Amino acid sequence: MTPRSTLNRSLLGLAGLVLLGGGLLILFAGLDLYRRRELVPPDGWPLTAPADVLLGSADRTRWSGQGWWWWPAVIAALALVALLALWWLLAQLRRHHPGSLPVGGTPPQEGVELRDRALSDAIETEAGALPGVDHATVRITGRPTRHHTRVGLTLTPEAAPGATLGALCEGPLRTARRSTGLPDLPTEVRLHVTRHKPHRAE
Amino acid sequence: MTPDPGPPGRGSARRATVPLTKEPGPPERDVPAGERDSGHRTRRPWSARRVPAALVAAVILVAAVAALADVIAVRAGRPAAEWRRRLTDALATRSVDDVWMLTGAAVAAAVGVWLIILALTPGLRRWLPLRRPADCPRLRASLDRDGAAALLRDAATRVPGVGAAHVRVRRHRVKARVHVRFRDPRQVKEDLVAALDEECDRLALARHPRVAVRTRRHTD
Repeated sequence: MTPRSTLNRSLLGLAGLVLLGGGLLILFAGLDLYRRRELVPPDGWPLTAPADVLLGSADRTRWSGQGWWWWPAVIAALALVALLALWWLLAQLRRHHPGSLPVGGTPPQEGVELRDRALSDAIETEAGALPGVDHATVRITGRPTRHHTRVGLTLTPEAAPGATLGALCEGPLRTARRSTGLPDLPTEVRLHVTRHKPHRAE
Repeated sequence: MTPDPGPPGRGSARRATVPLTKEPGPPERDVPAGERDSGHRTRRPWSARRVPAALVAAVILVAAVAALADVIAVRAGRPAAEWRRRLTDALATRSVDDVWMLTGAAVAAAVGVWLIILALTPGLRRWLPLRRPADCPRLRASLDRDGAAALLRDAATRVPGVGAAHVRVRRHRVKARVHVRFRDPRQVKEDLVAALDEECDRLALARHPRVAVRTRRHTD
């Protein structure tokens, strides 16, 4: 899993737990499940009876009765939450591109670099010319040290995906590996098939 | 260009000999032996869950900014916004067995369960993982399910006697419904199963799906 996937999944799980916990707390009190099931909630449990309200007057007086630091603290906390949410949102919209890739094996030749666009265009052109491929798009993402090649192929109805994949590996990807000297390109390939009417031709 | 004197052990002989040309040459076996398990079963890639993450982040951002703006406005001496007064009033007066509170709590719990499911499952159900080719150990490929269905439908249509074919591809199952125009339907069915199995091999699916065929005699 990529770091972003791990981050997104952790935060989504956390948000889910908060929502589920809050919802269950209200449902348990509202449906009076504690009394019916003869459960005894521990001391200080927030909601226990159907007549409770979420925001009691005791809470309100306690909050407004805090010292001078209370509202600055609330503002700081809200600002922090907003900033973190903004950062999380931007992390979804942003996509890293390596910019330039080192060429010439490990350690790379000094002063020789390859633009990521040049490499992806080269792979794209060669992949688009493979038999059975209608259209190819290639993008190289990630950081220079951990870049990732994403290939999208649209196949013609006559294509055999297994054979096309073999040809992609033998042809464009091997050429890219050999010509850059990068040891191994982590590659993700997505195959589509062009929409077409049923046809019988062999 | 002088080869830079790298630390011993890191510099490999490959560095000097890498050609910058594009002719095909002898295959380079520069892959660690441990990773070269050809035909290794490809697992489904895990989705990054970008869209749900962006949605949740946007909701939190909007709520936090609205609350922040209103708290600051109140600190600055202006009255609280209408939505905030109504919200606090509702939270202070409606008891938890109020139908709105119960509905809201149920919706929140359901959304929470959904988010937890999103966090724990791989996603990308539209994509069928493919076997990786022998020479590309770090390649992961998947095929669109609709695309697989189109190719399988073409394969079914090529069987003699088949008039029209409708193929549904699910993650572990392929279901084909065909109209038989001529020939013995049982014979056609046998041919169909063989043809679809063969096409599944051509698709190079990492996990061979179960193929189920239903034939109907065509009546005009």
